[in-house]
Amino acid sequence: MRKYTLIIAEKPDTANRIATALDDKSSPRRETDNGVPFFVAKHESKELVIASALGHLYTVSGVKKREWDYPIFDYQWTPRWIAEKKASKTRAWIKVLSKLAENATEFVDACDYDIEGSIIGYSILKYACNSKETVAKRMKYSTLTKEELKESFNKLLSHLDFELVEAGLARHEVDWLYGINLSRALTLAVKNNNSTYAMLSTGRVQGPILKYIEIREKNIQVFVPTPFWSITAKIRIDEHIFDLEYEKKAIETKTEANNIAAACKVRKGKIDKINVKEFQQKPPVPFDLGTLQREAYKLFKYTPIQTSKIAQHLYVNALISYPRTSSQKLPPTVGYRVILKKLSNAAVYQKLAQSLLAKDTLKPNEGPKFDPAHPSIYPTGNMPEKALDTAEKNIYDLIVRRFLAVFGEPALKQSIKVSVDINQNQFFMTGYRTLKECWIEYYKPYIHSENISLPLLFEDQKVAVQKVTLKDNFTKPPSRYNPQSLLRKMEKEQIGTKATRAMAIQTLYTRKYLEGEQNMVITGLGFEVAGVLKNYCPSVVSSEMTRKLEGKMEQIQLKQDTKQNVLADTIKDLKIVTSSLKHNQSEIGMQLGQKIKQLQLDKRTIGNCPKCQIGKLVIIRSKKTGKRFIGCTNFFENACNTSFPLPQIGTIKPLVSPCKSCGYPVIKVLIKSKHPWRLCLNPNCSDKEQKI
Amino acid sequence: MKCKICSRPVKEKGYCSLHLKAYQNIYGKFVVWEKALGVTWMDYLIKISKNSLSGEWAKEVAKHLIEGESRNDKEK
Repeated sequence: MRKYTLIIAEKPDTANRIATALDDKSSPRRETDNGVPFFVAKHESKELVIASALGHLYTVSGVKKREWDYPIFDYQWTPRWIAEKKASKTRAWIKVLSKLAENATEFVDACDYDIEGSIIGYSILKYACNSKETVAKRMKYSTLTKEELKESFNKLLSHLDFELVEAGLARHEVDWLYGINLSRALTLAVKNNNSTYAMLSTGRVQGPILKYIEIREKNIQVFVPTPFWSITAKIRIDEHIFDLEYEKKAIETKTEANNIAAACKVRKGKIDKINVKEFQQKPPVPFDLGTLQREAYKLFKYTPIQTSKIAQHLYVNALISYPRTSSQKLPPTVGYRVILKKLSNAAVYQKLAQSLLAKDTLKPNEGPKFDPAHPSIYPTGNMPEKALDTAEKNIYDLIVRRFLAVFGEPALKQSIKVSVDINQNQFFMTGYRTLKECWIEYYKPYIHSENISLPLLFEDQKVAVQKVTLKDNFTKPPSRYNPQSLLRKMEKEQIGTKATRAMAIQTLYTRKYLEGEQNMVITGLGFEVAGVLKNYCPSVVSSEMTRKLEGKMEQIQLKQDTKQNVLADTIKDLKIVTSSLKHNQSEIGMQLGQKIKQLQLDKRTIGNCPKCQIGKLVIIRSKKTGKRFIGCTNFFENACNTSFPLPQIGTIKPLVSPCKSCGYPVIKVLIKSKHPWRLCLNPNCSDKEQKI
Repeated sequence: MKCKICSRPVKEKGYCSLHLKAYQNIYGKFVVWEKALGVTWMDYLIKISKNSLSGEWAKEVAKHLIEGESRNDKEK
């Protein structure tokens, strides 16, 4: 019977890369079993079998399938296909891995070197490979380039990083305990106190995020603006017009503003003072995931989760290093010159890379953040094997140019502040000039040198006042969060991890607690859930609690605390929280139930009743026939009997604009594999049906 | 007891906690408006109820206060 080393990768694409890198002929044999692919490679006369997971194959689930209730504190790690209906595909994966493990003599965990990767590898080795986690070795790499993978395999770590595994297991178990107990408490409160059902959820990270957005929304809704005035002037110097600002940006009373504006209605002003300053602007720091996500949102409006997915794809294709890092360090071991040489082969980066290669020493401008597992995000220098789509191209180019920019010299800038006297009132104008671009040149087009040029000026110079403008203003409410500002807030408050933040925000959208991508608006339901959590279990939405837990998880990794302690504390805290939720179940149910009923009604509402003008037209399903139709809500008050028939198949969606021909509400009908069509509810309408 | 404006429970002065905060803001900012423009209380309420930068709850409270003042005037 043939013997081999079994290497476990995180995903099939990664397995393929590892197999190709380690095979002596760079041509591993691809085999499949039950639809599950794996690779066979020859490496220095040794046979290697490289198989992969499909993300997490095991998960935390409750021990007993008892009544759907809470609190629930008994759990175990089980195959995902048992715990989640949608994960049925993973069953075959586990089976094949178990089979491959039977004849393996050595085991190597080659999953990503981070918390999630470590748990994926550990759980497969423990559960699918018959407790091989204690004998398995570990591959550690930050890029999927052939060179690094080979080196990583030649210098295998003698065992798994058990501290990282422990911290990861604790994180999953704590999150499961919070998620299951709080979600069940909310769902059951609604179910037991209203004749309605809605799946509600919250968790350790979602709670605090929802609270931030709720607080911001409250501040916007209770905001009262106050008036203030601003004065600007236009002056002419050598046939050029320049804008001036009055020294006080906000004048508090209208009388004072009027008096100043009146006093400035003169023909001449005088330059009082000219202040010239030169200063250096340092290059940016290398990208960690958070800064990459923020920059990508700022430049391309990609959401954090989109950026994360694109970066992951670039990583799997060996174009960039491991992206889920919080490091802003770029150690020399990444091989600056090798990467720059490779980049200089691409025409688009050639000139910039060569100018850096010409330097005697290369020293990146590093940021303060450090990640023990990986350096910051950097390009490998490899060129894409396949054409990248626009989004991938954008993110790749951004990462390359950022990498180049961090080695640049500081830019030299000059600011000029000119103080102008207009009838004893002080105004200012400001100019900027970039004297030496240095790093800016490498980071273009993602930054541009903002230049506001001023002519040659001297003190006591007379200037012609062209115009003085008095403007009425009001203070503005705080801005709503956008993906960039929310990520920054989460980082500042130390909520979640670099890998989970984007997903936690996405979950709030999935649960219908948030809407609007650019300006995040909390929905009515989100508002009520945040209110309930704040009133009945404030610790769950407190940044302090989740920050403390993150700290404990880090302590596990540093061997300063144990998983058992952290979980015991979690259960203790959750017992208090769930008891308060249970005690106040009816109030919570009523509070949430009203909003859910409203939402459910909104979803079924088509528009206003064209006959009684008071009721709303809603989709109703007949209890007698089971058929659906549209009826007026006033029917139940015996005030209106308006009804319209509906197609019995397909999805119905109301359209915002009423029918152009008759003014009746219009719906869109969507039937699978058929063209969608619009339908006017008025049976006598001349424009009743139309394909969209 | 329900809030004078919405169906939430009353916290103080006949308002729920959300409308109460808006009410407190309206009262607090009047001094600034009075100093800046020399407006009367009624003018101030009308101005903020129509200002697009005012929050929805602040507008609701302002409108409610305007109605209350008008009712009082009629009764007088």
